[in-house]
Amino acid sequence: MTTPPDPAIAVDHLTKRYGDLLAVNDISFHVRTGEVFAFLGPNGAGKSTTVEIIETIRTPTSGTVRVLGVDVRARKHDIVPRIGVLPQGFSSFDRITVRETIQYYARIFRRRNIDVDGLIQLANLKDKRNEQFKNLSGGLKQRLGIAIALVNDPEVVFLDEPTTGLDPRARREVWDVLLSLKKNGKTVFLTTHYMEEAELLADTVAIISKGEIIARGSPGELIESNANYLTLTLKIIGEAASEIIRRMGFAPASDDHQNITVKVEHTDDIQKILNALQGAGASPLSLDVRKPNLEAVFLKLTGEALREGSVEGVPE
Amino acid sequence: MSGRVIGANLVVSITSFSREKSAMFFTLAFPIILILVFGTIFLNQDNVSFDLSVQDLDQTNSSAQLVKTLELNGKFKISAVDPAANPTQYAKDKKVNLVVVIPRGYERAFARRLGLVGGIPTPAFRDPNASVTVTYIYDPSASSTSTKIQLIRSGVELVNQGMSGQPPFIRAAETSTLTKKYRFIEFFVPGIIAMSIMTSSLSGAVNVNAELRQKGVIRKLSSTPITRTDWILSNILYQFILALVSTTAILVVSYAVFGVRLHTNAWLFVFIVLEVFAFGGLGMILTRVANEAESATAAANFIMFPMMFLSGSFFPLEMMPGFLQTIARGLPLYYVNEGLRASMVFADNTAALRASAMIGVFATVVFVLGIKTTRWEEGK
Repeated sequence: MTTPPDPAIAVDHLTKRYGDLLAVNDISFHVRTGEVFAFLGPNGAGKSTTVEIIETIRTPTSGTVRVLGVDVRARKHDIVPRIGVLPQGFSSFDRITVRETIQYYARIFRRRNIDVDGLIQLANLKDKRNEQFKNLSGGLKQRLGIAIALVNDPEVVFLDEPTTGLDPRARREVWDVLLSLKKNGKTVFLTTHYMEEAELLADTVAIISKGEIIARGSPGELIESNANYLTLTLKIIGEAASEIIRRMGFAPASDDHQNITVKVEHTDDIQKILNALQGAGASPLSLDVRKPNLEAVFLKLTGEALREGSVEGVPE
Repeated sequence: MSGRVIGANLVVSITSFSREKSAMFFTLAFPIILILVFGTIFLNQDNVSFDLSVQDLDQTNSSAQLVKTLELNGKFKISAVDPAANPTQYAKDKKVNLVVVIPRGYERAFARRLGLVGGIPTPAFRDPNASVTVTYIYDPSASSTSTKIQLIRSGVELVNQGMSGQPPFIRAAETSTLTKKYRFIEFFVPGIIAMSIMTSSLSGAVNVNAELRQKGVIRKLSSTPITRTDWILSNILYQFILALVSTTAILVVSYAVFGVRLHTNAWLFVFIVLEVFAFGGLGMILTRVANEAESATAAANFIMFPMMFLSGSFFPLEMMPGFLQTIARGLPLYYVNEGLRASMVFADNTAALRASAMIGVFATVVFVLGIKTTRWEEGK
């Protein structure tokens, strides 16, 4: 029998208070080595506070955080060289170029023989390597931030909302970089506002709400256990269809475009509804069956949608 | 503390500085412009001369002699006013702040007073009550008017005293307390050096700490091996390098353009170091007290500008009212000015030591407080 490897990150009974405000309330979770761990939560839920404590930027009120087996509070200087951090709203020195910025962080991490061009290539910044930071677009700045987070070849990479505020194209470019990290076996701790990002990239998702972790598992497991239904959407002319479906014990919802949406638990139910409609001479013009996504899980568990553009109101 | 990290920070700071034109201007060009402007204005302060308009209504040899006397060995450049002109209107039209009017009958009254008959002194004809009135038409709002009238009065006194035929009772002898004669520019240069270091250190510390914190750069740096000590030391070292560069530029221009004679010795280095620590520390405290970068910059300006004018950087403290002089003696920049002048102008080591002790105590207290108040990790 083999013992499981130590987790890359182990958070135990972590609590953080700002005066009377309880930002993080006794949370515990582990992140496995080599996995992409997505940390989701509405604004003000405590996710940035949590990630900044793990990154050693903030100090906890109580509890322990171990990264790569090292207590981050007691031995910050041992762990910092082994992690890479892209903080929320990453920024750098305005008048320093992309190349110079990477070289600067390399010197800070005492990395003499770093492959600066390789990192520039990885972040797809080759054309911008001599551009000053202030002249970069939001997407380019984030990609530079990721390159800097990798400058010390870290074992664990923290990416705090790496795609917030980016347009869809820039977001996909950042995803490409993240996928290459995943491919290279890095442990990635990701906080994000985007459910599709978490679904696409994450092996494990944890949802935090009001300072507490309310769900944890793979995206598939979370959907399976929290949103075990199918959504059937029918386009039907006439008003009788809704009544027929309601009489079968379902709860249909109609919109102004003659679409009827019904949540069903089994695929058999779909067939039953279609047969009933056909029997009543109300065959649908089109139909669409969808599995619920992570967003539906999130909505169900937290009661609110994730919003972009606002940052957690954490006092300093 | 890591030399490599401090070196990396210095490279970034100096590169950023070299690419930022406004910072270059305010650190290097601005003090040089001040030196050039004020140095030129006060270049010939000892040989200053004023313009004086004189209306001679008598138009005689004696009145011409009086006009000549009023030149006061070059203190005045005389402009003659047409005797037919209205002198008050003339002063208004020509924007002249002083017109001296010599009345008609000047020569006749002069001859009666001295008892001159056909130019020959005749005591029997001397009239001790004979006199003339010279009129001053002046603009009281002009700053130089009172100085000019003072000078003319001293000239008139000389004439009156000469006509009395008696030698003066009180004679004056002048001895300077300084071993040699100094020019205004030589007093001005140390003040500009002190002002320039104060502005670059204080605003530099505020910009670096407040702006970078607000932008989130400090948050990123706090997740790297840089320590708070590395960060503060590299910033202080950077401010010290800037102070050396700006002081060198000021001195080179002062020597090259105005040929100043100043002592540049170890005291200059001491005062630069102490001033950088003092105002760098003050900047760190301001950054902590102010919530945002804009407030910190405003607070820095609020401290810097009054201090510049009150602490004797531009003009002597003696020109200010007593209560302002008392305030000035409580300002750190005053002691830097005093110390730099003591060492650079008078070569007075005792006075320099006294000033360095004062600014040294201030620098130590402020810098220690600055270190203690500078945040590195978030939300302690």
